[in-house]
Amino acid sequence: MELSAQMRKPTGLSGRRVLLADDDIELCQLISLYLEHEGFAVEAVHTGQEAVERALSGEHAIVVLDVMLPGMKGFEVLRYVRAQSRMPVLMLTARGDEQDRILGLEMGADDYLPKPFNPRELSARIDAILRRSRNDLTETRPAGAERIVVEDIELDKGGRMVRRAGEEVNLTTVEFDLLEEFLKSAGQVLPREEMVRNVLRREFSPFDRSIDTHVSNLRKKLGPTSDGLERIKGVRGIGYLYSLSRSSRGGQK
Amino acid sequence: MSRLFYKVFLWFWLSIVVASTTLMALTAVKHSRASRDEHWRDRFGPRVDLWARQEAEILDHEGTSALSKYVRSIESDPGIRNYLFEASGLGLLARQAPPLVLQTVASVTQSGAEAQFFARDRIIAEKVFGPSGKSYVVIVTFPHPSVLPRRLFQFLGEDLEGDGIIRLGAILLVAGLFCFWLARQITSPIDKLRLATREIANEHLNTRVDKKVTARRDELAELGRDFDRMAERIDALVTAQRQLLADVSHTLRSPLARLGVALGLARQRANPETSEHLDRIEREADRLNGLIGQLLTLARIDSKVDLQRKTVFDLGSLVQEVAADGDYEARSRGCAVRFTTSSECLVEGIPQMLRGAIENVVRNAVRHAPKGTNVEIAMDLKGVQSPSRATIHVRNQGTGVSAAELGSIFLPFHRSADGATLDPYGTGLGLAITERAFRFHGGTAIAANMPGGGLVVKLELPAIPSKSAD
Repeated sequence: MELSAQMRKPTGLSGRRVLLADDDIELCQLISLYLEHEGFAVEAVHTGQEAVERALSGEHAIVVLDVMLPGMKGFEVLRYVRAQSRMPVLMLTARGDEQDRILGLEMGADDYLPKPFNPRELSARIDAILRRSRNDLTETRPAGAERIVVEDIELDKGGRMVRRAGEEVNLTTVEFDLLEEFLKSAGQVLPREEMVRNVLRREFSPFDRSIDTHVSNLRKKLGPTSDGLERIKGVRGIGYLYSLSRSSRGGQK
Repeated sequence: MSRLFYKVFLWFWLSIVVASTTLMALTAVKHSRASRDEHWRDRFGPRVDLWARQEAEILDHEGTSALSKYVRSIESDPGIRNYLFEASGLGLLARQAPPLVLQTVASVTQSGAEAQFFARDRIIAEKVFGPSGKSYVVIVTFPHPSVLPRRLFQFLGEDLEGDGIIRLGAILLVAGLFCFWLARQITSPIDKLRLATREIANEHLNTRVDKKVTARRDELAELGRDFDRMAERIDALVTAQRQLLADVSHTLRSPLARLGVALGLARQRANPETSEHLDRIEREADRLNGLIGQLLTLARIDSKVDLQRKTVFDLGSLVQEVAADGDYEARSRGCAVRFTTSSECLVEGIPQMLRGAIENVVRNAVRHAPKGTNVEIAMDLKGVQSPSRATIHVRNQGTGVSAAELGSIFLPFHRSADGATLDPYGTGLGLAITERAFRFHGGTAIAANMPGGGLVVKLELPAIPSKSAD
C-alpha cells in the first residue's frame, strides 16, 4: 500500500499513470512492480467503489479493471466510468469465460486480457491503448478540424465526435478509430489482420475475435443505412466492408 | 399408447369377456334343460296315457300276442321302449327290464298317483285299470337328451338371434370401457416414469416424475417417489462435482496470475543464462493456464448457464472464420486449411460455444497434419426439409488413430495408447469440449479413419430448414 500512497502525488509520468483495480492485493503489488520497471506509475485499488472514485478523479491515463471486484462488479464500475468519461479501460477477464470479454467490450472497454496473463502482454496492451489516446490529443487538435463525411455519417477527428444525420453518436476510442478506418476506405474490403494492426495496434493472432466484437458494437451504434441496408458487411474469411449506397459511390473526404 | 397398454387392455378385456360368456352359456344350458324337460313331458305325457289305456284294453280283450304287436308299433320310434307290469310287479311282456325300470315299478305301485315323470332318466310311468278291473303299470323309456356341446351351440345359435346379441354387445362394451380405464391406470404412470428416466439419461438431471404419479396411493407412486429421490441425489452429486471442478479452476487462477507476473519480474532482471529456464517456466505456466481455461469451458457447458444466449446464425460464416484462422496458424507449419461449403446453413445455438468447439477440431487436425499437406473442411446440409442437419467434416492427412481409439479421443484427458502423443501442448480437453458442446446443441461428434489415410472428424448439428426450399 505504501506504493500507491507514493504514487498519488502528481509526477512527471502523468501520461503513464495507471489505475489498477483488482481485489488480489499481492497480485497488485507484483503488477505494480512490473509496470514501474516498464516506466508506468501505478495506483492500486481493491474495491469497486474506490475504483470508480479514483477513475473519475482524472489523474490517470488508463484503468486496468478486473471483472471480479468485491462490492461492485467490474462491469458496474465500467458502466459508471463510461457514463462520465471516455478514459481508456482495459478489462481483465476470466479465462474460459468468453462471455465476460464480449460483455466488457460491448459495454465500452477498449480492450481485454484474459487472466492469468503474461505481464509483458499487459504492458504492451497498455502501451497500445495509451499511444492511441495520445494520438487523439497531439495529432488532431492542432491540425484543426479534419472531417470525414460519408453519406449520413460525419466524423470530426478534432472534436473526436461522430454524427449520424446530424445526431451525435457516442463511441469509445476503439470504435472511433475503427470507424475512421472504415470511412477512409469505404467501399473497399478491410482485412481483419490489417484492422487488428491499425486499430488495436497489436499483432494479429488467429482465434482472437475481439475486433469482431468491436465491429459489431459499432454496427449496433450506427444502425442500418438510410435505405435500410447493413452498414458494415462481413466478408467471409477476409474481413469487413463499409458499404456505400449506389447513389453515392466513392467516399468524399 | 404403449404396447404394455394394449397388452393389459386386451388381456383384461378378453378374460372378462370369456368369463361372462361362459357364465351366460352355463345358465342358458341349465335353463334350456328345464324347458326341454317341460317340452318332453307335454309332448309324451298324453301319448303315454293313451298307449297305457290301449294296452290295458288290448290285453284284457285280445291277449298277449295282440299286445306284443301293438307295443312293437309304439317302439317303431327309435329309442322308445315299452314295459308292462301287473300291479304285483310281474312283467307281462316277454322281455328283460333294466334295473332302473324295475325300481320305477316298485315306486309307482306303492304311490297312488296315476302318472309319474322321471325327467332326468326320460322315463314315464302310468298306472291304468283294464276293462276287467285289473290294474297295470306301463313304463315307457325314452332316449336321453343329446350331449352338452351340441346344446351349447344350439343355445348360441338361438340366442344370438334374440336379445343375446344385445347382451353380448353390452358385455363387450362395458368390459372394454372398464379395461381401457384400468389399462390406463396401470400404464400411464409407467409411461411417465419411463419419460422421466429417459430425460435423466439425456442429462436433464433436474427432471422429476410427474406429480400425477407421485400423488397416487400405490406401489407405482412409491416407485415414482423413489425415482425422484434418486434423481435428486444424482443431480446433487453431479452438480457438486462440477462445482468443485469449476471452483478448483477458479481458485487456481489467482496463484497462477501471480506466478505469471512474478515470472515477468524475474525476466526483467534476467541474464541470458537464466532466461532459458524462465522460458521453460513460462511454457509450463501457459499450459496450466490453457488447461484451466478449458476446464472452465467444460464446466460452463455442463452448467448450461449459456442457454439463454441462443441465437440463430449462419454456421457457414462461422466455420469460414475458424477455417481462415486455422489457415493462418497452419501456414507456420507449412500446411493449409481449405474450406468448401455447398449452401448457407442456419442453426440455432450459442455461436461462441460452437466456434470454440469447431476451433478445437480444426487446430487438432492442423497440429497432426504432416508438413505440406492440406486440412480439408467440408460443410454440407443434409435433408433440405425439416429434420435437416448440418454436417462439418474436418479431415487431415495424418496417421489417423487406431480403430480402438476412435471413440475414446473425445474423452477428457485421453492419451493415445502408444503414449507418444504428438501433442505436448494439447491439454487433452479440446475434443472433449467439442463433443460436449455438440451434444449440448443436440448434435454429435464422431471420428473415423479415412481409407486413404488420415483422420476425419464428423460434426453434426440440427439445422433450420432453409426457407427457400419450402
